[in-house]
Amino acid sequence: MKRLFGTALIDYLPALALLAIALAYLATAYSYMPQARAFPVSVALATIVLVVLDLVSRTQTPAGQTLTRLFNPSALPHSADHRQQYPAMKQVFAVLSVFGFVLLIVLAGFIYAVPVYVFAATYLRGRRPLLLCLLVSVAVTIFIWALFEQFLKIELYPGLLFQES
Amino acid sequence: MLELWLGGLNGLLHVDVLFFVFLGMVIGLIFGAIPGLGGTTAIALLMPLTYGMEPFTALALAGGVMGAVPMGGSITSILLNTPGTAPNAATCLDGYPLAQQGKAGMAIGAAGSANAIGAIIGTISVLAVLPFANELVLLFGPPEFALMGLFALAVVATASRGKMLRGLVAGGLGLMIAFVGYNDIAGGERFTYGVEYLWDGIHLVPALIGLFAVAEMINLTVKGGTVAKSAAAVKITSMTSGLFETFRHLGTVLRGSLIGTTVGAIPGLGGTVVAFLSYSVTVQSSKNPETFGKGNIQGVIAPEAAICAHDCSALVPTLAFGIPAGAEMAVFMGLLVIHGMQPGPLMLRDHMVEIYGLIWALTASCVLASFVGLLFVRPLSKITLLDTRILVPLVLSTALAGSFAIDMTIENVVVTSVFGALGYLMVRYDYPRLMVVVALVLGGNIERNFHQSMLMGEGGWSVFFSRTISIILIIATVAVLSLPLFRGIFRQLWIRKAPVERSRL
Repeated sequence: MKRLFGTALIDYLPALALLAIALAYLATAYSYMPQARAFPVSVALATIVLVVLDLVSRTQTPAGQTLTRLFNPSALPHSADHRQQYPAMKQVFAVLSVFGFVLLIVLAGFIYAVPVYVFAATYLRGRRPLLLCLLVSVAVTIFIWALFEQFLKIELYPGLLFQES
Repeated sequence: MLELWLGGLNGLLHVDVLFFVFLGMVIGLIFGAIPGLGGTTAIALLMPLTYGMEPFTALALAGGVMGAVPMGGSITSILLNTPGTAPNAATCLDGYPLAQQGKAGMAIGAAGSANAIGAIIGTISVLAVLPFANELVLLFGPPEFALMGLFALAVVATASRGKMLRGLVAGGLGLMIAFVGYNDIAGGERFTYGVEYLWDGIHLVPALIGLFAVAEMINLTVKGGTVAKSAAAVKITSMTSGLFETFRHLGTVLRGSLIGTTVGAIPGLGGTVVAFLSYSVTVQSSKNPETFGKGNIQGVIAPEAAICAHDCSALVPTLAFGIPAGAEMAVFMGLLVIHGMQPGPLMLRDHMVEIYGLIWALTASCVLASFVGLLFVRPLSKITLLDTRILVPLVLSTALAGSFAIDMTIENVVVTSVFGALGYLMVRYDYPRLMVVVALVLGGNIERNFHQSMLMGEGGWSVFFSRTISIILIIATVAVLSLPLFRGIFRQLWIRKAPVERSRL
């Protein structure tokens, strides 16, 4: 793995991503009226300074080590073990499955999305017995429907596909 | 005075009124446990049902709901890392690690008893303070509110002890998110990129459900297995151990209750800030701060005691000035108006018996809900042994439906999922999430009060240095922020000095 100042390049990524966000935020803030941008600009500038310090603290240079000792002494070391234990693909899949479920809710609504997602999560991913998965998906859907629609009288989102125009 | 206290208590001691307190408690427990709902939704839904009730009975019902919500929220926070209500997010930090260690029973027991004691201390304080409420609340103006917000941020940042720099970065990110939406100072919207939903800003509860519940479900999907590592450990936990732990850390309970009572009475800060502040101060004052976040029982006791104490003291600005201390209190004010009571100084003069009745009902509900929670510790703990392949879809579906139910907008669900991914990344890359939460709550408040202060001072900064409380808050903020720096320097000096002295010896 490539290293810069003694630290794996990948370990700079979180701070770099935050830096990019803060810079984009700052650029947007400057498009507002002076009074409206006063606070956002100050916060964005302060965040940029802090992120730069965070970046420096990740290096194995004397400055980095001093910063870590003073302000980040118990920050987790960037362990290769964690990367091996939980492969990136597994993590990406876990995050994407949530977004997939949300997309399904937006399109088909809760009543259709919930059983599909629960079945997919328990049967296709969890590899549980088919009957159990069917039972769980029906039970969870009934629970959600009874709790929100019957007990709380909250009409669940019907989905773009089934929404009455 | 005593006559009024007893009058309120006497009004409560009727079978029909007690029934409504109990009903409110059950509803509060349920609403508190379901992510996204909480006391605000419960009172809003119950409001039309109270039309035909006597004002005292309606207030007893509302008190029952408000008192039980924290206990309901703490149960899901501990068992599933899913805060039922926003303030319970602080309980997740140590409650959930305890559940993972198979000590869910102990954590729920401690949360319940801390809740009950916090409520009693809060009640006593409010009963004592209410007659002087007017003078106390007037001590705080926009400069003090702005500085108090900054102080709260500083305290919470330093509580991410050992990770202050990353805590501040997370705080910056939280503040940036907090400024999204319509700006009521200069007018016009900011950072909405044409999305109408964002005009109201990022809604706190959907964001919290994402940061904690969804992030944890992603984490469990990646890890697999069960929440608790061992079934044997869950079996041996008992509610009594949690009770004992609370009494063993009575100082933590008292400190949390004190923070809940004093800070909770300041409008705009709300239960979430109070809970995190109490947690942060407990971490700072602990001899073993490194054990927090890994399952330290004091990390459960401190916020829970503060939340219930805050619920009582939040009534002070709401009733005395008509300034709601949070969303729940704002809805509650609506209920007061429906029953012909106008919050403000006149309410303190004309409806004292109802007010004391409400306070007693709230306290009774807090204590009762804690007992009910304690009774169900054992069966509830079993949830932590459920296979994550079944648990994750169930919790995720409920959390997303709860997020939608807040104000029936599907965008809430999208926000929840985005914050879920953000929360997971923050855990994965070791950035403290509590700073994002506190910054989200306080960001708008700090900005609004800062601009109001500048208007008061006609553009000059002297307004921040002209009152005693402001100066105390500035000194306290600087002291809190420089603490880790001095601690680090002293530690280095000590390390350098120690070998020299040892060699002399």
